[in-house]
Amino acid sequence: MRVKASYVLLFILPALVLYSLFVVYPLLDSLTLSFYSWKGVGPKIFVGLKNFREMFFGSFSKEVFNAFSHNIYFFIVAATLELSLGFLIAFLLASKLKGAKLFRTVVYMPNMIPLVIVGFMWNLFLNPQIGLVNNFLKFIGLKSLARPWLGDPSTALLSIILVNTWRHLGFYVLVILAAILNIPPDLIEAAYIDGASNRKIATKIVLPLVLPTFRTLLILLFIGSFNVFDMVYAMTGVQAGPFRKTDVLGTVFYRTAFGGLGSAFTDMGLGAAVTVFIFAIVMPLSILYVFLVERRERAW
Amino acid sequence: MVRLTKTGTILAYVFLTIYALIIVVPFTMMVMNSFKSMRELFLKPFSFPSSFKFDNFSKAWKFANIHVGYRNSLLVAGATVIIVVLLASMFAYMVSKYDFSFRRGVFLYTMLGLALPARLAVIPIFILLRNMNLTNSLAGLVLIYSSINLPFSIFILKNFIDAVPNELCEAARIDGASVGYIYYKLVLPLTKPALSIVAIVTFVNVWNDFFFPLILINDRSKATITLAMSMFFGEYSIQWPLLFAGLTLSIAPTVILFLIFSRFFIAGMTQGAIK
Repeated sequence: MRVKASYVLLFILPALVLYSLFVVYPLLDSLTLSFYSWKGVGPKIFVGLKNFREMFFGSFSKEVFNAFSHNIYFFIVAATLELSLGFLIAFLLASKLKGAKLFRTVVYMPNMIPLVIVGFMWNLFLNPQIGLVNNFLKFIGLKSLARPWLGDPSTALLSIILVNTWRHLGFYVLVILAAILNIPPDLIEAAYIDGASNRKIATKIVLPLVLPTFRTLLILLFIGSFNVFDMVYAMTGVQAGPFRKTDVLGTVFYRTAFGGLGSAFTDMGLGAAVTVFIFAIVMPLSILYVFLVERRERAW
Repeated sequence: MVRLTKTGTILAYVFLTIYALIIVVPFTMMVMNSFKSMRELFLKPFSFPSSFKFDNFSKAWKFANIHVGYRNSLLVAGATVIIVVLLASMFAYMVSKYDFSFRRGVFLYTMLGLALPARLAVIPIFILLRNMNLTNSLAGLVLIYSSINLPFSIFILKNFIDAVPNELCEAARIDGASVGYIYYKLVLPLTKPALSIVAIVTFVNVWNDFFFPLILINDRSKATITLAMSMFFGEYSIQWPLLFAGLTLSIAPTVILFLIFSRFFIAGMTQGAIK
């Protein structure tokens, strides 16, 4: 339909202005800022690529790559757990067990709670003195396994990832379940008539048909793994203890840009450089995600 | 559909029950521990409380400023939902139903936002709000959250509005309906399901966020519920029964609402993320 230009402006400008001012402009400005050194007040000093040199080759690089490796580790463990358990549980739920509806509600519940609060909750449960987890281990006779989960360098990061899985798994279950329920029932029916076992049906029919969903979820998991911040903040703090064993790029960025005692590097420009680095990692996959989702719609 | 054998069914129930317990037990423990004294929590962290210390709740309520957190989170999330639903639906309606130059370009430009993690822009956002005198203010948070949630909402709404037949709008047009009238009386009522998805996803996103309040707010009276809890944990770090009581209070409304409207929430959140 045709329409007067004044109407077009009236309807699209408000959204366009907000989005340009508070999303697009700040992202571009981050890029600019990464070439400067700036304490947040006073003059900005143009330093060219110094921030990036510092980040990749200087003394700051150790901190950055330590965190980066934790993000990657986070992605690998979280993706493996959430997709495999998610598929298994979704497959079981697809069999229309009695009580499946109630179960869906239960598994989704942790998703409704703010990440940072989930972090605080488990911070208490993993506490070596009063914690639920150690007491439970004692109760079932595995006292030797009890430990200060978040204080022990060998278990701290893994504990955070497991708590993160506890929070998110329900979402993956329900999305995969929706994908399984989308499979034409005749296909599965026919396989049963041919005498296929459930294992065969799960691996040869259902799994291949939900792979496109897995691909989308993997991208989301990857982006999510580079966005980790709240959980670490709540469980091991800004310093990402013990000995930065739980440090991720999000906490490095926070300390660099917004201080946090005990950080050797505090500079808004250097902080912006860290965000540019995260952005460069996440952007290609984000675009792929939009492309995949958009293609499904074929709106244009 | 998938059919399990008898043993398969039993194994499935066992497995799913264990998983359900892993979710439910922590919540139960949290509530039970909220009622205990420090001493009892130490000695019997697992047991049912021997007596109910309601006083933990009143203390936590006061020290954690929970009512202030609720109020602020509700104000911010509510205002954001209203702005997002209104602006995104107006935008989507115009782009979906009318021809104008740059139509496709403008739409793709906003779709870029689906791929841009706004958190990464937090330094310039902080500076921008500081220049506008909007740091440490709820209005500043509303502006940021509204902007961040627009691309996704426009995406969902445009798909739904595309499905409203063009002939319907054209017929209304011929009958003399104005652009605004068609939007308000025709398109909005027909896209109610999409509007509710957008409203739920936006509300939950804003309610659950911690990052922006952490950076933009430093005044207790302006703290959202997540920030209020974080401040509380910082100050009362070893008063465990109080912390449990605070946690219980901070999530109780969400959990209760979710249990009542779970179908609605689940449908909204999962469709929203994958569509």
